[in-house]
Amino acid sequence: MVEMTEQTSQRERLESAASTEVIIELAGVNKWFGEFHVLRDINLSVHRGERIVVCGPSGSGKSTLIRCINRLEEHQEGLIAVDGVTLDKNLKHIDQIRSEVGMVFQSFNLFPHLTVLENLTLAPIWVRKMPKAEAEEIAMQYLERVKIPEQADKYPGQMSGGQQQRVAIARALCMSPKIMLFDEPTSALDPEMIKEVLDVMIELAGTGMTMLVVTHEMGFAKTVANRVIFMDGGEIVEQNEPEEFFNNPESDRTKLFLSQILLH
Amino acid sequence: MTAIASDQDTGQKKAPKIQISVLSWLRENLFSTWYNVVFTVIGIYIVYAVITALWDWGFVNAVWEAKDRRDCFNINKARGQPPGACWAGVTTWMTNFMYGRYPRTELWRIDLGGILLAIWMAPIWLPRVKGKIIIAFSVVFLYPFLAGYLFSGGERGVFMQVMVSAAIVMLTAIVVHSLISLITGRTLPALLVSALGLAALSEKMQRNALLALAALAFALVFWWQSGWLVPEVNWVNWGGLFLTLVISGIGIAFALPGGITLALGRRSKLPVVRVLSTGFIEIFRSVPLITVLFMATTMFPLFLPEGFILNKLVQVIVAVCLFNACYMAETVRAGLQAIPKGQYEAAHAMGLGYWQMMGFVVMPQALKYMIPNIVGSFIGLLKDTTLVSIIGLFDFLSMLRAVSQDVPWRGLHYEPIMFGAVVFFILCASMSKYSRHLEIKLGGGANR
Repeated sequence: MVEMTEQTSQRERLESAASTEVIIELAGVNKWFGEFHVLRDINLSVHRGERIVVCGPSGSGKSTLIRCINRLEEHQEGLIAVDGVTLDKNLKHIDQIRSEVGMVFQSFNLFPHLTVLENLTLAPIWVRKMPKAEAEEIAMQYLERVKIPEQADKYPGQMSGGQQQRVAIARALCMSPKIMLFDEPTSALDPEMIKEVLDVMIELAGTGMTMLVVTHEMGFAKTVANRVIFMDGGEIVEQNEPEEFFNNPESDRTKLFLSQILLH
Repeated sequence: MTAIASDQDTGQKKAPKIQISVLSWLRENLFSTWYNVVFTVIGIYIVYAVITALWDWGFVNAVWEAKDRRDCFNINKARGQPPGACWAGVTTWMTNFMYGRYPRTELWRIDLGGILLAIWMAPIWLPRVKGKIIIAFSVVFLYPFLAGYLFSGGERGVFMQVMVSAAIVMLTAIVVHSLISLITGRTLPALLVSALGLAALSEKMQRNALLALAALAFALVFWWQSGWLVPEVNWVNWGGLFLTLVISGIGIAFALPGGITLALGRRSKLPVVRVLSTGFIEIFRSVPLITVLFMATTMFPLFLPEGFILNKLVQVIVAVCLFNACYMAETVRAGLQAIPKGQYEAAHAMGLGYWQMMGFVVMPQALKYMIPNIVGSFIGLLKDTTLVSIIGLFDFLSMLRAVSQDVPWRGLHYEPIMFGAVVFFILCASMSKYSRHLEIKLGGGANR
C-alpha cells in the first residue's frame, strides 16, 4: 500500500503531459533477420516529451524496435522518421538522427581504456567540436546530476554496475539529445543497484525528456510512463496508459504475460 | 525455531604462512618415486655432460687471438689441450660481421646513425616527457631521410636537403624538449611562449608564432647543411648486421601501419576496397618469402615505367614490407574482432565517425590484445631477413658463412654460426622481453 501511494504521488508530479507534436514516427515497419520476421507491421507515433515503456517476453522484438530508431539495425520495409528526418540509407540523415538520439545499453558499453570524464567528453569534443574546457564543464554538471561527480577520474572497471550505468546515462546526455532510448538498462544490475539507476531515469523524466524504455521494471512503468506498449512475436499487441494496462489488460496474450511476471 | 543471527562482522583473519624448505621441495618434485629418481639422475647427467663439453670447447680450450686457423691448432697443441673454439676468426672478422664491406673510414656514419636513433627514441620511454606520439611519428617519417643520407652519402637534391634539414630541426627540438621536461616539467612550446612573452596572445596567435620560429630554425639549418657533404657509399657495399637491421627496421616500421590499413580494408563495406585488400593479403600469405624475394628482384622491373630503375636493395625492402604488412593485417583483424560489438554500437550511437571510432575507441583497445602477435611477427621478420643472403645481398648471415671461404680461416664453420646465434638470441629475446613488459603495462590479456 505504501508503494502505491508513493508511485501515485510521483505520478502526479510527472503529469506534465506529453505534447501533441510527433517526434518519432514508425509506419508499416517490417524487419527480417535472414528469414526470421522479427518486426511485423509496426505502427507507432511517439510525441515530444512522452515517456513510453516497451515490455514483452524475450524474442518479441522490443530491443530490435528501438535499435532500428537509431539505425543500429536496418529495417527492410516501412518508414521511420525522427524529428522530421527520414531514416534511410543516406548517411547524412543517419548522422543527424544519431546526434539527436541518445542510447543507454544493457551492458553499459563504456570505453574501458578512458576515464569517466574522457568517456563523457569524447563525443562533444570530436563530434560537436566543443573546446575541451567547455566539454569538461558540461560533463561535470551531468556527473553531478547522476550523483557521482567524485568518480570523474576513475576508470569504468573500478566502479560498480550501478555507477557504470549512471555514467552511461550521463554520457548519452552530454550530447544534449532530444530523445533517449533505454535498452533494458537495469537488466544486468544487481538488485540493490537497480534503484539508483531508476531514480536517475525518473529525475530525467521529470525534465520533459522524450524517453523510450525497454524494461521489465513495472514499478518504473507505473511511476513514469505515459504509455505502456506490450510486444509479442514482433507485433505491438496492446498499448495503453499504465493504470489501464495493468488493471484492465484487454488481449489474452497481455493477460498471460502479466500473470507470469511479478508486479512490484 | 530460534533464529540464527550475527550482527557483528568478525573481520578478516591473516592467512597461515606456508613454509616450504628446499629439501622438501626436492623430495616432492624430483625424488618422489623410484622412477623419478632415475629420471632425475639421468637428466642431471645429460645437463652436466652438455654444459661441460660446451664450456671446455668454448672457453677453457678456446683461442682468442691467432693469425689463422692453423695457428689456432698450434696454440692448442702447445698448451697441451684438445682443439677448442677458434674465436680468433670471429674477432678478426667482427667489422665485416657488423658493417659488411662498408669503407672502414666511413664506419662512424653508421655508428652516428644508430646513436641518433637511440637519442631520438629515448624520450618515448622517459616518464615526464609529453608529446610521445608526435615523437614516434617523427621517428617514422623523418629519421629515415637523415639516416638514409648518412648511410649512402653523395650529392643530394633539393627534396633530400629539405627532409634532412627538417629531421635535424626536429631532433634538436625533441632533445631540448626532453631536457626541459625532465628538469622543469614543462613542454618546449610552453617554455618558448613564456620566454618570448607571448602568453598574452590568443592560442592561435601563439601557434603561429611558434611555427614562424620553427620555419626560421629550418631556414638556418637548411643554409648550414647545404655545404655539408659526405662521400658516397654505394648500397652494394652495405652488409652485415647493419644491412640486416636496415631491412628489418624498415620492414617493422612499415608493417604495422600497412597491416592496419589492409585489415581495415578487408573489413570495409566498400566492395572494391574489400576485394583488393583480401586478394592482396591472401596472395602474399600463400607464397613463401623467398619466392616473393625472387619475384621482386626479377619481375619488379617489368611493372615499372620505362627508365625507372630500382636497385636491388629497394626491391628487397619493398618485398619485405609488403609481405609483413599482410601477416600483420591478419593479426590486426584478429584484434579488431576481439572487441565486443557493444563498443562499436556505443560509438555509433554517440555519432562518432568511422575514423574517430577506430582511432579513439577500437584501436587503443585492440592493440593491447595484438601485442604478443605483433612482436612475434617482428621477431620473425628479423630472422627472415637472413633470406636475402640467397639473392645476393651480403647481410649478417652471409658474412658469417663467408668466414669459412676466407683463405686463412678455411673450414671455420661452427664459431661464426655460434656467434651469430648468440647475436640473434640477444636481439630476439630482448624484443620478446619488451613485449611481455608492454603487455603487463597495458594490462591486456590474462597477465599470467
